[in-house]
Amino acid sequence: MTRLESLASCFQGLIPATLFTCSREGVPNAAYISHVEFVDSGRVALSFQFFNKSKANICENPHALVRLIDPDTSQGWRLRLRYVRSETAGPVFDRMALRIEAIASYSGLKGIFKLRAADIYEVLSVEMIEDEGPRAASQWNERARPPASVFTLHAMQELSERIHRADTLEALLDSMLEGLEASCGFTHSMILMPAAEEGVLVTIASRGYPENGAGAEVRIGEGIVGVVAEARKPIRISGLIRQMLYAYAVHKQASEQGLCPHAHRIALPGLAAPDSQLGVPLINRGELIGVLCVESEQPYRFHEEDKTAIELLGGYIAIAMHSMLQRERSEPVADVAPAPALPTPAPVRAPGPTARAAKGPAREVAYYAADECILVDGEYLIRSLPAKIFWKLLNARQAEGRVEFTNRELRLDKSLNLPEWKDNLESRLLLLRRRLEQKCPDLRIVPKARGRFTLQLGSDVVLVQKP
Amino acid sequence: MIDVELAAFLQEGIAIQLGTRNERLEPNGVRVVSVAVDPDGRHIVAYVPDAAVAQVLPDLQSNGQAALVFARPPDERACQLKGTFTNARPATAAERAGVEAQWDRWLDRLASIGVARATLEPWITWPCTAIRLRVTAIFDQTPGPNAGAPLA
Repeated sequence: MTRLESLASCFQGLIPATLFTCSREGVPNAAYISHVEFVDSGRVALSFQFFNKSKANICENPHALVRLIDPDTSQGWRLRLRYVRSETAGPVFDRMALRIEAIASYSGLKGIFKLRAADIYEVLSVEMIEDEGPRAASQWNERARPPASVFTLHAMQELSERIHRADTLEALLDSMLEGLEASCGFTHSMILMPAAEEGVLVTIASRGYPENGAGAEVRIGEGIVGVVAEARKPIRISGLIRQMLYAYAVHKQASEQGLCPHAHRIALPGLAAPDSQLGVPLINRGELIGVLCVESEQPYRFHEEDKTAIELLGGYIAIAMHSMLQRERSEPVADVAPAPALPTPAPVRAPGPTARAAKGPAREVAYYAADECILVDGEYLIRSLPAKIFWKLLNARQAEGRVEFTNRELRLDKSLNLPEWKDNLESRLLLLRRRLEQKCPDLRIVPKARGRFTLQLGSDVVLVQKP
Repeated sequence: MIDVELAAFLQEGIAIQLGTRNERLEPNGVRVVSVAVDPDGRHIVAYVPDAAVAQVLPDLQSNGQAALVFARPPDERACQLKGTFTNARPATAAERAGVEAQWDRWLDRLASIGVARATLEPWITWPCTAIRLRVTAIFDQTPGPNAGAPLA
């Protein structure tokens, strides 16, 4: 019998499979199914989401047949199955439930489009379908050949070397995303970290998108990133477009029956139409340090054998990020010659024509205290702790003419209310720097030395505090 | 039973599979290249590649029970026809163009959801056996809470 493991590509869910069952009375049933899950060399699992005829038949007659298509070779396969049991917990259930939950959250279907059980089947035989496959080897083109594994040992070694070379959090994150492209070919990737606000993840580094994306937020439990953070387990989704179309079909029917009170859909972070996504939790000693998300416009990109490498990589990155944050906090501030203070403190000025400076039009920086949020020239810049930090820096510059600051003084500033333990200050400053680069590049925060940075303003700023 | 709108849907070039079962109630199934709905709306002809028809023909000839499932990406509209076997014959040369045109439209539709035509292009589509069924019931099978509701 052909080994089930050799059909790994069939289990990616790219091309719909078909499930055939039969009732006790002898009435056959056929249904398209979204996914067949590989369990082990002798078993597969099918998702039970809705109580339908297939499920009813299986409960009274355990015989089933599944037809699958290998997207790499075009070969069709028949699996003759016998239903064993339904699982509502455990690793197989968790894996299937997570993928379904991620798709559901994109479609506004959380709680409706969900896995009720993972139905486990014994595989009695694996048969090649004679009329569904390449007629001759010559017809196999490059595209049809199985793509090579992505996370090779060589790629992992290169990524590991990048981790060792990085000396700041910023360098580490950028180098990781650069390495994922150089060594693995992933052109679109991002890393999110827990935001100051509980239950929210914020994008701290990204690669391959038109804007750097810093500051884009995802709530825990939303989309692939949010679900990865919630479950702390990696998720791979191939053929995402097709699976989302399936979810939308459910959404449409459920909406018509009033089962979807909230019809909104959460915009996908990153690519507008990814067809494969991989989310990896970055966990160190049980603490969620962040989430790595890799996307591809190809419908099929990640392999079964990549899974172990992906989890290993996630562990490496998490340890490196954690150690970088800890080091920044514990090491003394580097001694450098202090930057001269501004000749005269910039006066507080009201917005208006008088605020124009020789450098160009002055920028209005407005801080909304109630929302802890900063707008620059009426456009949203940042909120929460990074906003409070930026406001403090601008005010210190204006009142005292200072342009150089240390992490230590921010930590000691009671008005910022930084937690004494694990304040993630370095990541907040990085986020602020990235947002400034994106929205107003003439206002800059430039690292000067370890634990020390300067505020550089290419325009005059007018500070406006709002309630 | 099959109205004009449904007949157009079934024949527009979508995914079709035929399910049967043997005397031990073990299911069998094959891909259907195309279908043709009889003008009476009560019968349907499923064209199954000769290379595959042995998977289901013995079942049909012994117990006659059949299920045809249809699904259309990208909206995932789907339905299932239950039927009983009437007869089987070799499809004629005159039918070939219509059968292959429907299969060709299906390949185009697959491409719209990211599955390249080349993936299924090598599959055998001819010669076919024309399997005629009498339709006994039709069920909605679009994913969601309505799946399984009778349409006729």
